[in-house]
Amino acid sequence: MTRQKVLLLGEIEHAHDSWNSLSAFADLITPRAQTRAEFLDECRNGRLDGVFVIYRTFASVGITGRFDDELVNVLPDTVKFICHNGAGYDQIDVYVCTARGIRVSNVPTAVNDATADINMFLILGALRGFNPSMMSLREGNWRGHPPPPLGHDPQGKTLGILGMGGIGRNLKKKAEAFSMKIIYHNRCRLTDELADGARYVSFEELLSTSDVISLNLPLNQDTHHKLSTREFEMMKKGVVIVNTARGAVMDEEALVKALDAGRVASVGLDVYENEPKIHPGLIANPHVILVPHMGTWTEQTQTAMEEWNIRNVRSVLETGALHNVVPEQADV
Amino acid sequence: MAQKAALLIGDIAHARKEWTAVGEIAKLYEYPSGSREGFISKCKAGEYKDLYAIYRSNDSNKHTGNFDQELIDVLPSTLKYICHNGAGYDNIDIPACTNKGILVSSTPVAVNDATADVAIFLMLGALRRVTVPFQAVRNGKWRGDFQLGRDPKNKVLGILGMGGIGSEVAKRAKAFGMQVQYHNRHQLPAKEEEGAKYVTFEELLKTSDVLSLNLSLNASTRHIISKPQFDQMKDGIILINTARGLLIDEAALVDALKSGKVWSAGLDVFEEEPKIHPGLLEAGNVVLLPHIGTGTVETQRDMELLVLDNLKSAIKEQRLLTQVPEQKKAKANI
Repeated sequence: MTRQKVLLLGEIEHAHDSWNSLSAFADLITPRAQTRAEFLDECRNGRLDGVFVIYRTFASVGITGRFDDELVNVLPDTVKFICHNGAGYDQIDVYVCTARGIRVSNVPTAVNDATADINMFLILGALRGFNPSMMSLREGNWRGHPPPPLGHDPQGKTLGILGMGGIGRNLKKKAEAFSMKIIYHNRCRLTDELADGARYVSFEELLSTSDVISLNLPLNQDTHHKLSTREFEMMKKGVVIVNTARGAVMDEEALVKALDAGRVASVGLDVYENEPKIHPGLIANPHVILVPHMGTWTEQTQTAMEEWNIRNVRSVLETGALHNVVPEQADV
Repeated sequence: MAQKAALLIGDIAHARKEWTAVGEIAKLYEYPSGSREGFISKCKAGEYKDLYAIYRSNDSNKHTGNFDQELIDVLPSTLKYICHNGAGYDNIDIPACTNKGILVSSTPVAVNDATADVAIFLMLGALRRVTVPFQAVRNGKWRGDFQLGRDPKNKVLGILGMGGIGSEVAKRAKAFGMQVQYHNRHQLPAKEEEGAKYVTFEELLKTSDVLSLNLSLNASTRHIISKPQFDQMKDGIILINTARGLLIDEAALVDALKSGKVWSAGLDVFEEEPKIHPGLLEAGNVVLLPHIGTGTVETQRDMELLVLDNLKSAIKEQRLLTQVPEQKKAKANI
């Protein structure tokens, strides 16, 4: 059997044994490039010729930049698979990959619990208004002088989940333990079995009737700035919004305006439009609860994600096919 | 017989109308703020004639000091009921009240959801070691000196004190995939356990990955978690306290955090609130809240209404709705 070449973009942090076991039947190589320009050169000058499958991490975008039209089109012709370690794969232009005959996989499922946990943490933090209290305590002012407004209980509140995929459905179960009522909007309505009692509503109804809105949808051309000025105006006054999906699904500038105007009472954010930059209007607001894109950052989940991605690489090497492809390529 | 009187000590923020309506069945007095000396003087000067029932709260404790023997001794002899706003009532000397024929109610149940929600928030924050990233983000450092957290799934949550609040914590923890075990003065009937395993105190300490304190503070539970208990715990345990600060020897906790015996902690309560041990403030692996377990509009109103319901029941029917368990068998001397 010919030994295939696997290109690693980024680091393996946990699943070293599984990764190294691939060397039994494939050459594992890494780029020399430290910048995007160098990476494009390395593709063009033939050093990466013969690469069959690419394993890439979210953080590797710091070296290569996005897998956009320009980059995908200089990849060696031999590249047939990109295995992306992450649930969100908006760093990759899937349509360009499809046009070039490259199949793309991501890491769903393994991310669900950890992301939903941070999601629920942020819902509680924003709804209860914990941030001002945590800050005043650490400033030596106990509850604050004057203390901040009282928060709200989740019991009986309507949680509108925008994007009822694996993470959204995982969140539903956790939110129900807090007696929240779940409504959702999705591209398509789910089967009754998958929806498991959650009520399907239109986007507009989700906006106008939710007490808490959770963003759990992927970022793509259709969902960029899905929540912007028009949508904030349709929401209940005093709504709480939580985003663990992708920053750019929400117009950050419009969000700050809506917060300052009191339309939106609080937000819980794990993601931002231009990470690691955060809109100063958010940093200046003590009522919002902010964490730095740590949705899947646990020992167990990071390991499980690497194992999943390595399994896709192994599947390609052993069978010529991925274990899972991104939804856009499901019919390709 | 003269009309019974009710005294409001401190504030009612969400059920003012309902308090005013009590005026239809009793004379109303108010002591909104002041000092312990001021309150004792008023009592001694006989300002609260025909006082039958008091509405007080944990918040109002600062205007009177603890309801200890000294204070109880100066309360009018007509007083029969103290209706307390708070699930914790360790600032009331219950035996001293019982001896004087004064019955006491608290506000169980109304606090359960909100307090359990805080416990889970603290648990998730402690599991995910969120304090360092919280601070890094606000200081423009993005993740800072960040360390990976832990998932709750399949971890063992030990609940010390499976009362109303503990049961609500258990229910939520199961939704996060945790296994629940508990220790109580007595094992609960099977149908109330909801699948939680009853264990001894020692086994709870030795085998829990996360330990949540949900028991009441009294003479026998003070410092129930001290160095000998930390020594029995699993290395790297996570400790959550939404009950009372005095349950934990705070200095011993600081040592345990430094040594790594306690991997992280989430605390809503402290030994000497509002003072906090500096070792806790310096630690990057603790999540701290300033005793806001029930700090919501809905729960605060529910608690106030429950106290008022106890008050009205005392005045009209000479009985309380949620009398403290220590007194259940006692009767007022009418």
